[in-house]
Amino acid sequence: MSARLLPVPDQASAPYWQACAEHVLKLPCCSRCNEFTLPPDVTCPSCHSLEPEFTWQPVTGRGKVRTWTVIRQSFLGGFKVPFVLVDVQLDDQPQVRMIGQLLDGPEAPLSIGDAVAVAFDDLAPGVAVPAFRKAENA
Amino acid sequence: MSGLFLARNQVAVVGYAHSQVVRRSTEPLGLTALRTARAAIADAGLVPSQIDGFASSSLMPTSGDHAAQDGISVVSSDWLAQHLGTEPKYVVGFQGIGQLTGSLTLAVNALASGAADYVLLHRALYSPPGKYNDSSLTQARGGQQWSAPQGFFGALPGIALVYNEYCQRYGATREAMAHVVVEARKNGARLPWGYWYDKPLSFDDYMAEPLINDPMSRLDCDIPVHGVGVFILTRADRAKDMPNKPVFISGYANAYPSHNRISLHWTLDDMMEAGRAQAARLWEKSGFTPDQIDLPQVYDAFSPYVYIWLESLGFCPEGEAHRFVMDGNIDSDRPGSLAVVSGGGALGNGRLHGVPQLLECYLQLSGRAEARQRDATTALFSYSAPNFGGAFVLTNDAS
Ligand SMILES: [Zn+2]
Repeated sequence: MSARLLPVPDQASAPYWQACAEHVLKLPCCSRCNEFTLPPDVTCPSCHSLEPEFTWQPVTGRGKVRTWTVIRQSFLGGFKVPFVLVDVQLDDQPQVRMIGQLLDGPEAPLSIGDAVAVAFDDLAPGVAVPAFRKAENA
Repeated sequence: MSGLFLARNQVAVVGYAHSQVVRRSTEPLGLTALRTARAAIADAGLVPSQIDGFASSSLMPTSGDHAAQDGISVVSSDWLAQHLGTEPKYVVGFQGIGQLTGSLTLAVNALASGAADYVLLHRALYSPPGKYNDSSLTQARGGQQWSAPQGFFGALPGIALVYNEYCQRYGATREAMAHVVVEARKNGARLPWGYWYDKPLSFDDYMAEPLINDPMSRLDCDIPVHGVGVFILTRADRAKDMPNKPVFISGYANAYPSHNRISLHWTLDDMMEAGRAQAARLWEKSGFTPDQIDLPQVYDAFSPYVYIWLESLGFCPEGEAHRFVMDGNIDSDRPGSLAVVSGGGALGNGRLHGVPQLLECYLQLSGRAEARQRDATTALFSYSAPNFGGAFVLTNDAS
């Protein structure tokens, strides 16, 4: 089986992937309105500033499951099926929705609104991809 | 700007042709498109030299490793106009995701403004050899770096997420969706040109199909095919002297993305929010209300779209579409039903990107549906998901 594909950092994303490698979730925050967004954009989607001067801020990575799917057939090589993808709304940045694998696996019971916390999948030396694990409901 | 569409009922569909739909073909897609275009022009009682406008969208909707080559695997209006040997005044291609509704919008506006007198609208879809969506990517660059490394790739996982949110929120079941897919295949089985001709699907076969991205199975997705649909449009004043009963465009609405999200992360709330706003524009511009539409044809490339469109257009309350279909309300054989996939849709024809929906509206309103003819004066078709797509209202009564 081939290896999972790796993200290629670019000018806009390098701080994100560098933080992930250190198992820290950082998101771009607009310097004008202090709103977060993902992925990074050219302008701020909240205040529409042309000069958002995004800064990468560490966030808790806690969130709630909005929905999920079990991937039993993948169009990409390198993935061991089945695996679970969760669509997570972050608690402290509710306008941000992230999609990641649920590392608890397809057997873990799951409901909408379940609490999750960011975790990291180490794919290669210096390369980690955000994922999620179930957490205690607050 | 508000009120009725200024060109309401002033542009009409006056002819069509449809190729045979096959799983794959060795014929270059451009040749299929040219044959179909010539047949459509003749159907409208015209000759190619009279066609002075062309509109389309040529995107090949795959995440797999396939090259798009004009005339071979995609067909642009530029290519078609050049190879038909015409001297067009107006050739345009739509760039967004709402391809058929977007390009039909361009065609209607061109006629209404007088930019062209006879417009040929086409959509040509190709099915490449090998797996349609499989990718040998080993690195994720650009937009894909935010999705592919975690295994979120292609359109299907995103639709599965939306559908599961719907199921969890409203208690919808696979048994309910079986009613949609079986209905689409029942109607598709009656179309001699369709890929699923004479191949209806049973409820039990639907239920037995394994899931690939829960809660979706292969049967919830349209099958990639090789096929072309062509429509000829002109202004109402010219249409009245042409061979076929004209079908008038009453109004349209389109929608565009409004949230910064990972590519292909289309959420249920985004769809419904955009869909409600789009529907409000559609009713305002067309001058119709949902209860005046005899025959809606909603897009169904992924089966959950049927619920999303039924609800966002106001044909049933939000969260109720799964019960609506279970109660037999979309059964094309039941008198008084809202037969939203009477033309087979994408699930019953193959991946033809809105052509089956527009074609069914045209055939039924022009009185050309033969044994399947229904009593209908107004129709509607929608395309794509509401947050990227569009919808049109059509009528055969311009009085
Ligand atoms: Zn801002």
